Amino acid sequence: MTRLLMWFFAPALALAGVPSLIAIRGAHVVPVSGPDMAQATVVVRDGVIEAVGPNVAIPQGAWVIDGQGLTVYPGFVDALDDAGIPAARPAAPAGPPPGAGAAPAPPPARGPEDRPATESWLRAADLVRPDGPHVHELRSAGFTTAVSFPMQGIVAGQGAVIDLGGERAGDMVVDTPAAEYITTQTHGFGGYPGSLMGVIAYIRQLYLDAGYYKTVRTAYDQHQAGAPRPAYDRAIEGVLEPPRILLPAARLVEIDRMMRFGKELGRKTVLYGMAEGYRAGDLLKGANVGVLVNLKWPEAERDGDPNAYVTLRTLEVRRNAPSTAAVLQKAGVPFAFYSGGLTTRTALVRAMKRALDAGLSRAGAVRAMTIEPAAIYGVADRLGTIETGKIANLTVTDGDWFEEKTKVKFVLVDGKKYEPEPEMPPPAANGRGRAPEVAK
Amino acid sequence: MKRAALILLVASIAAWAADDAGFVIEHATIHPVTAPDIPDGSVLVKDGKIVAVGAHVNARGARRIDGKGLHVYPGMINSATDLGLSEIAAVRETNDTNELGEFDPQLQALVAVNPASEHIPVTRVNGVTSAITLPATETGPEMIAGQAALIHLDGWTWEQMDIQPDAAMEIIFPTLRAPRRPFFAAPGAPAPFRETQRAYDEKIRRLKDFFEQARRYETAKKGPEAGLERHLRYEAMIPVLDGKTPVLIVAQREREMKAALAFAREEKVKVILAGCQELGKLGPEIKTAGASVILGPTLAMPLEEDMPYDQAYALPNEFYKAGILFALGTFPGEVEHEARNLPYQASMAAAFGLPKDEALRAVTINAAKIWGVADKLGSIETGKVADLILTDGDPLETRTSVKKVFIAGREVDMTTRQTELYELYRKRP
Repeated sequence: MTRLLMWFFAPALALAGVPSLIAIRGAHVVPVSGPDMAQATVVVRDGVIEAVGPNVAIPQGAWVIDGQGLTVYPGFVDALDDAGIPAARPAAPAGPPPGAGAAPAPPPARGPEDRPATESWLRAADLVRPDGPHVHELRSAGFTTAVSFPMQGIVAGQGAVIDLGGERAGDMVVDTPAAEYITTQTHGFGGYPGSLMGVIAYIRQLYLDAGYYKTVRTAYDQHQAGAPRPAYDRAIEGVLEPPRILLPAARLVEIDRMMRFGKELGRKTVLYGMAEGYRAGDLLKGANVGVLVNLKWPEAERDGDPNAYVTLRTLEVRRNAPSTAAVLQKAGVPFAFYSGGLTTRTALVRAMKRALDAGLSRAGAVRAMTIEPAAIYGVADRLGTIETGKIANLTVTDGDWFEEKTKVKFVLVDGKKYEPEPEMPPPAANGRGRAPEVAK
Repeated sequence: MKRAALILLVASIAAWAADDAGFVIEHATIHPVTAPDIPDGSVLVKDGKIVAVGAHVNARGARRIDGKGLHVYPGMINSATDLGLSEIAAVRETNDTNELGEFDPQLQALVAVNPASEHIPVTRVNGVTSAITLPATETGPEMIAGQAALIHLDGWTWEQMDIQPDAAMEIIFPTLRAPRRPFFAAPGAPAPFRETQRAYDEKIRRLKDFFEQARRYETAKKGPEAGLERHLRYEAMIPVLDGKTPVLIVAQREREMKAALAFAREEKVKVILAGCQELGKLGPEIKTAGASVILGPTLAMPLEEDMPYDQAYALPNEFYKAGILFALGTFPGEVEHEARNLPYQASMAAAFGLPKDEALRAVTINAAKIWGVADKLGSIETGKVADLILTDGDPLETRTSVKKVFIAGREVDMTTRQTELYELYRKRP
């Protein structure tokens, strides 16, 4: 029914004539690429920033927005998320006929050749939907972009840089594949790999296999006739595509381990987590790895046992984790923030405040949500600053984004204006069918 | 194997033969535990009882055992084992513990004891002459596990081993800990605490309800009405409700111990806390309640990673300083077949603060007091059962060797599965 309605309204939305030429006049602009501008104008045409500066002429026919009292940031980027990817995956087309009972569980993996917990071929770009989870929430919090990943399994799939707007899934994708998302989750009972060492050995084997596969495949493609045919392996096809890998690294020992592991695998490495990153300033300094800091700082479980024993180590990490950003900034280690499942602006601002209180500069915080994630994912030429030629993703607030009382007035995503929705408790299971709010 | 069994049998029969005129251990240092040591003393044993102890003992006609340079101690009591009930933990058929069902007060550990268990000789040659054997050794759905028995570590049948068939009613107290997630569970958020709390409250309610039912049964039984249907379950609860049999409540952490004390107070039953792994702030409360405690094992890791390394070693001393009566047990389930290491569990406590004589008391007279057999066991006194060990030093020292063991006046065979294997492989060319 909803889908039917959407068919009706889609042409109507297109006919509504959203202005493709917008000028925000006289606003406080934070271009990130240079110093703040007190009274500046930003001109956006066809989803691209056409001009920015204090003395920019407003082109004929532009829809002018009075920027008095407004602050314009480059659109914020959530550097790691699963935004837009529906939780339930579409069913596989080749299933048992209906009524044949539950599909038999696949046999447990016995070794790396069974490619356990691997879906490296999944592409976020193929899975995202404009009405997918968290898209509206993140946009309402001031985010225009997310780097979204399938997140299940050990080698979970390929992420994409997506804009949090658009009418069709295809409108969202800025860059794909962005990276391969890797975890060290053990596989559970009875399946390989069941231990951390098993998981690491498996990932190592997979990437070794990938190197060999590439060689054999290239040789075969040159002389196909008469040569033995190498088997097609979608798991390897999947890991060969993305230009970089994401490795989990929360504790210091994991940061150290995963830095070495990434180097060993010969892939551009991005580490995510960083709860104990406050101890890793020296380690990460000058290391050629991307760093993603989880804004959801470790804390006591809300529903946990109130009298449970908490070890000193846990308490220490809980207390110091928010200082990671300040430590990294001081050490000169570039890093990006990711929401870690926080979706409301209130929650994000509070989490950010703890990083600021620990010594992170506001400029550094803005960079960690704009240009740094763009640089880590290789899209700094198109995202992350307010400069001529960049994608017109802008976050517009009525003050400093880091103040709790500040409100996001609107965001531009690919030059289209979206207004924030009020913060709501998590919606019910079927509550994600709302159409995007397009400016009238 | 058959031959070995035969040799063992013959040897045992020889050992079984009682001394009609009794025997006397002479010129040994006697450690009565309840009285000062006697440097060059004698112990006279007749009909399984200690007849005389002292520097000079009239022992005419008795068989003489020269104890020169040796020491006599009372046999040790291990206050928590599964001796006779579990042979090889990994072989299901050899385990007779942990019955199914929540309430099994009618179960008697004693009748399930296998007198031929290989663990019994291995344990007694280390100087342990009696033990509490527990009907349940692990936490599960069970709450009332059954009757723990105090047994002698010698006998052809369980009847001969019996000291106290209902030494305590074992209760495995519900824990308020979120169930540890099984290792095969899929990752995800753990159950919220309020669900754990609800499940716990429900278990406590059922436990109290069972006590209530038992109490009604007892009243009905005393009453004039005829035709009361007999229930072994409730029948077994009567001595507990009458305060004759204590409840042994397995409670490891402070919160559970506190809840167990409250439970015992409300139900007006005598309580022994067992398996306590911390004292916390409960010292005064345990003392006021008059509860005694079974501690152990001391040779264990700290409860949490940032607790002091000697947390388990020093725990008995904490209880001692709090003035609480306690005994030591080796607790099956923590470490398998540890019953024989009771003396070293005690010596670890002594090495970490517990006065040495208190460590010895924790495996002798204090255990006897807790199990209500202080008139029979736990010290070398006239009239007590002759559970004695003859050693070449302090039995809590690992270097000490136990020369002879007497259980109820019978000198037991010192052959064990371990010595048999030793002899067997020593012969190998």
